[in-house]
Amino acid sequence: MTAPETRAGQVVLEARGITKRFGSVLANDHIDLAVRAGELHAILGENGAGKTTLMRILFGELQPDEGEIFLNGQRVRFRSPRDALRHGIGMVHQERKLIPAHSALENIVLGHPNTGAILDLRQAEREVSALCERYGFRIPLHAKVWQLSEGEKQIVEIIKELYHGARILILDEPTSVLSPPEIVKLLESLTRMAKEDLAVIPFITHKLPVVLEYCDRVTILRRGRVVAEMETRQATEQTLAAAMVGRDVVLQVERVEVPPGEPVVQVRDLWVRDNRGLFAVQGLSFEVRAGEIFGIAGVAGNGQEPLAEALAGLRPAERGTITLDGTDITQAPVLERWKRGLGYVPTERRTVGSIPTFSLVENVLLNYHFEKEFSRWGVLAIGRARELTERILDEYRVVTSGPDAPARSLSGGNLQKIILGRVLARKPRFLIACHPTHGLDVGAAEFVQRQILQAKMAGTAVLLISEDLDEILALSDRIAAMYEGQFTGIVPAREATKELIGELMAGLRRERV
Amino acid sequence: MRAVIGGYAIRIERRADVRWWHTALASVLAILVSLFLVGIAFVRVGADPLEVYSEIIKYAFVSEFGLPQTINRATFVLLAAFALIVPLRAGLWNIGMPGQIFAATLAAFGVAYAFGAKTLVNAQLPGVIVIPAMLVAALIASAVYGGIAGYLRGRLQVNEIVTTMMQNWAMLWIVAHMIREGGPFMGRTAEGEGFTLPTSLRVPQVFDLPVTVYAAVVLALLLTWFLTKTTLGYRIRTYGESPRAAEYAGIDATRISTLVFALGGAFAGLAGFHYFLGVPGVYKIPKNYADFGDFSFYGLITGLIARNNPIAAIPVAMLFGGISGGARFMQGKLRLAFGIDYALLGVLMIMMVAFQALAQYAVRIERAVPIPATQRERGESRVESPHH
Repeated sequence: MTAPETRAGQVVLEARGITKRFGSVLANDHIDLAVRAGELHAILGENGAGKTTLMRILFGELQPDEGEIFLNGQRVRFRSPRDALRHGIGMVHQERKLIPAHSALENIVLGHPNTGAILDLRQAEREVSALCERYGFRIPLHAKVWQLSEGEKQIVEIIKELYHGARILILDEPTSVLSPPEIVKLLESLTRMAKEDLAVIPFITHKLPVVLEYCDRVTILRRGRVVAEMETRQATEQTLAAAMVGRDVVLQVERVEVPPGEPVVQVRDLWVRDNRGLFAVQGLSFEVRAGEIFGIAGVAGNGQEPLAEALAGLRPAERGTITLDGTDITQAPVLERWKRGLGYVPTERRTVGSIPTFSLVENVLLNYHFEKEFSRWGVLAIGRARELTERILDEYRVVTSGPDAPARSLSGGNLQKIILGRVLARKPRFLIACHPTHGLDVGAAEFVQRQILQAKMAGTAVLLISEDLDEILALSDRIAAMYEGQFTGIVPAREATKELIGELMAGLRRERV
Repeated sequence: MRAVIGGYAIRIERRADVRWWHTALASVLAILVSLFLVGIAFVRVGADPLEVYSEIIKYAFVSEFGLPQTINRATFVLLAAFALIVPLRAGLWNIGMPGQIFAATLAAFGVAYAFGAKTLVNAQLPGVIVIPAMLVAALIASAVYGGIAGYLRGRLQVNEIVTTMMQNWAMLWIVAHMIREGGPFMGRTAEGEGFTLPTSLRVPQVFDLPVTVYAAVVLALLLTWFLTKTTLGYRIRTYGESPRAAEYAGIDATRISTLVFALGGAFAGLAGFHYFLGVPGVYKIPKNYADFGDFSFYGLITGLIARNNPIAAIPVAMLFGGISGGARFMQGKLRLAFGIDYALLGVLMIMMVAFQALAQYAVRIERAVPIPATQRERGESRVESPHH
């Protein structure tokens, strides 16, 4: 692993004037980047700033239109990822590239140049174990990949790259699928790798706290250009965010105290099955009051999604009751729930929350086609739907060519504004918001959060499901941590700390619920 | 896909939006290419392709006898196309036109039978009452027969293609039972075909065409309006684009799939009503009734070529209606080998479908952006995406 000739602080990987166009879009505009040995180097930027494009160029997956790459002072050109790996550059993508039915070890070994016709798994296992030992990774090597958590899968990919000889490891949003304790563990391992073996680890993120706490240096991209490069010692969250967005932003919208009203939603002993037929929600009981945001924190896949679907009527409740304003809606069809004041912002914006080929007007109608004002004698009141759409576009400052534009032409943030806007325009009694700012730019996220807060102030009972702990902590009045289908704790906002919720989320600790 | 030739790059890419004239142009090209290809076959058997084609066109679209036949067949195909289009807008495949057609036809003849039409040859039955009753019976029977497949699909996730196909077989045998030896609808003289409708119960004609022809054209307009402007049409389209989004929007899957199949079935039923109760010279369930079941599948192709657009289906249906009759006539007149009419139809269908697929793509020729030779990718065919 070690390259004896490298010294700490020496520039190992350097890019000069990297430019890449996709049609008329300038994804990378003369980017300079220097990554030093022994450092964690963060590449920070909003969606579409060009981070991933730059990394894919360094990794040989894309060819730059202009610019040069230097490795240890020598000019190099990678024809393919395989070529880059031969030079010791590996990449761990955001989406997993593992074979679920194979074991972790088999996945790690797969494709290794030394693997001939006969696989010596025992020899390989010794080497891989040594590698894990060294950096403190703990992975059940013989478990099948489908049995592993998202965090473990990511570690399998990291080990795989290391095992295949990577000394420069490019990580794309490595923290986005992890629980807080997993994030800490991963970053500690990465730090050890960098400090002890002078490995070079540029990684991409848009999470500011991670950058400040663990990284030595940060390069900030905006609209394809480097707008700042600094040592993180000199940086604050404010300066980083301002550089990233190009203006001062409110990083976290502040919670507003509203005296909570009467309980709007009451859930008693709710049991819900997932698609595999297993109980994903196991006997949950809670209530959400008017003017209250009830946040559910949890790592993806701990039952939040089936819970939201059961509340919205998209998934049957096996046991238990759900009441909305005193009416039992446990068995009520979806439409009846909407008519009684449910509002639901689903996780999957492009497959559930909208129809890409439909116009924005038609997409707004998804939540209105059953209302008398929008359907006269069975004929759609398109004029009215258009007015409503225009109002939402205007109020929510949606960037689009107009109400007739197809939904697929909108960015994630703008699409989310429309979905939230059309749901909130119904003035719901009970709003379920699933991952409302996931993948959104800082600016759009701030806007969405403000709208949710405003709904709360107007007396809506809000159920907020999010993996973003900062968001949950900032917005919620009460926070429930969900782990394997159960609440490991329900904590009032003023008592909640990141550490406490993090431990509850990871199932390391249980409060009396 | 991108290929560089000299200083120019040829790029083939998927069209973001396919406009109606792309489709129309593709159809015309498909016809020309088909005529050329089949023309080779005609030359091979010693016939002059130009003469062959002019005979077909003269017969099918000009002659006094051929033109009404073309129109009647086209109406049959067009209504069968609607039977595909409505469910397909909801993302579901109806290939049960034959079954639905004969469900309607049997129901209509059943009403006539109940009024004694079989035994009283020259009965002066009150057509004003009986014909609408036959129509209603036909529509209900075919809607129910089609609706079964839709209900099973919506409720129990039974594949609708399998269901409708099996329903076709079941119905064809029921027809055989009804009209063959000893069957209740057996004709008085000829064996193996149904009884002939008394004149008073035949679908009335306007300008020598059954009123069902005009009804089909009006229905094309109504159906377009229904699908684009009404709430139910919106729900059907929503379900067709994304069943999960439809569920989110509170649209009941079972209701939608039952509805589209009932509606589609009724259109197929109307096709049967039109042909077996309205076309001069027919007025009965003929011996070769199964051929008409096969012929209804031209509706399937028509719907696909028209890209689910009821109005665009009209010219396509005319084409198939015309060529099916014209080619047969030409074959007899020029004494060509058996089957060459089917060859022409077959090639035409394949070309139509193929060209529709091609119409989805655009070919662009542009000046190649110079890429330094040293940096050109080799042996790579990655799709570069700007979405990062």
